[in-house]
Amino acid sequence: MKNLLITFIFLVTSSSFSQESKTSDLTQEEREDSVVDYSNIKSVILNDGLQSEKEKKQELVKEIKSQRGRISSNRHNYPSADDYWSMLSELWLVKNAQVLRWDFPKPEYGLNIAFQQLLEKFGYYNKAFKILIVNTPTLTHFSLPDGKNSFIFILSLPFMRSLDLTKVDISLLMFEDFLRMENGFFITNVEIDQKFLGTNFQEKKLDKSQLKNALKKYTDVVFNTGFNFQQQYEVTKAVDQILKSDPALWSAYFKLYKKLDRFIKTDLLYKNYLKIYPSPELQLQWLSPKKKVI
Amino acid sequence: MFFCITTSAFSKDIVVARKYFQSFLGHVHQNPNKDSSSLTIVQCSHSVKILKSKNKITDWSYVQVGDDKGYIQDELLGEKRPNCFQQKYPKYYLGLELDITEMYFWGRLYDQYDQGRSRIK
Repeated sequence: MKNLLITFIFLVTSSSFSQESKTSDLTQEEREDSVVDYSNIKSVILNDGLQSEKEKKQELVKEIKSQRGRISSNRHNYPSADDYWSMLSELWLVKNAQVLRWDFPKPEYGLNIAFQQLLEKFGYYNKAFKILIVNTPTLTHFSLPDGKNSFIFILSLPFMRSLDLTKVDISLLMFEDFLRMENGFFITNVEIDQKFLGTNFQEKKLDKSQLKNALKKYTDVVFNTGFNFQQQYEVTKAVDQILKSDPALWSAYFKLYKKLDRFIKTDLLYKNYLKIYPSPELQLQWLSPKKKVI
Repeated sequence: MFFCITTSAFSKDIVVARKYFQSFLGHVHQNPNKDSSSLTIVQCSHSVKILKSKNKITDWSYVQVGDDKGYIQDELLGEKRPNCFQQKYPKYYLGLELDITEMYFWGRLYDQYDQGRSRIK
């Protein structure tokens, strides 16, 4: 009898505990809504105005439930376009850290100040940028998207040293890369299906294949395919037009391309340059003033 | 015994502020130097105790994260909790399945970046 009593008490307490843990996730309003049953005293409730009070509470509970659902659903969102490009560019840099060799000790080159001044000089305000120096000649200079009004610039230290580039030269190359990004050439060339961005995957499984595919396309564009002639022509003409207001800078840009053209024709290490940026020789032609035939 | 108590009392650092880590991932460095060894990795929005430093070091803060005391660049810390990718898209972030090496390199990116912004006209 004694044992039976103990077992009964144990069962009662454990069931009340499990009930408590289940209900602990609910809000006060939700708990009240499930406990109070007004059906037997309806007329009194109506007279006391409690019916309207109940309706208000039910509305509140409905709102809480819908908000909880929304929060849970939002946790399964795909990133917005800006957040996605920023994350993807950095993820690509992380995955290619060994190839790009950007994690090495280096001094402050002061390139950020030189480039900031160049942007401001030509009226490009409120543009954020990150410069990453890499210790490899496999990539010379490139820019990657980093969200709205933000850019990542990659510069090769061996390339800058081999060409003996000044801060002005480097800033001009970065300015060209900046205009490529502003024109959306890189995003066009990587050809990533962007339909999923900003959508939700709560009901579905997270599609990881698109991320792998996107990283592969990044590698392909950065190392192999680069930009086409039309894109190069548009960028060169844009830089030409902008720099014409400052003859000293225009002249520096022209000289830079002369140097670059000679260099890539002689140094085998940079033979891939033409695949990415076709071609300094043509760019020089596009920049040169047309000769008048009399 | 008395000696032990006094030394431990003197070595206790004073917390002067609390700030939030602003970048995606980053490192607490042993010394105020970008190439100094990493004590621990911090994630975006992580709360960091700013400790009073004996020597005034420009551009670096002396911090405590968990049990580790070290240095973080000032530009990576802010007064307000940032709106981080990890918090905005938690399930997607988990889906990236970053391993420890990738997290290390992601943190190193912010050490290696030379950042700038053209001013607002």
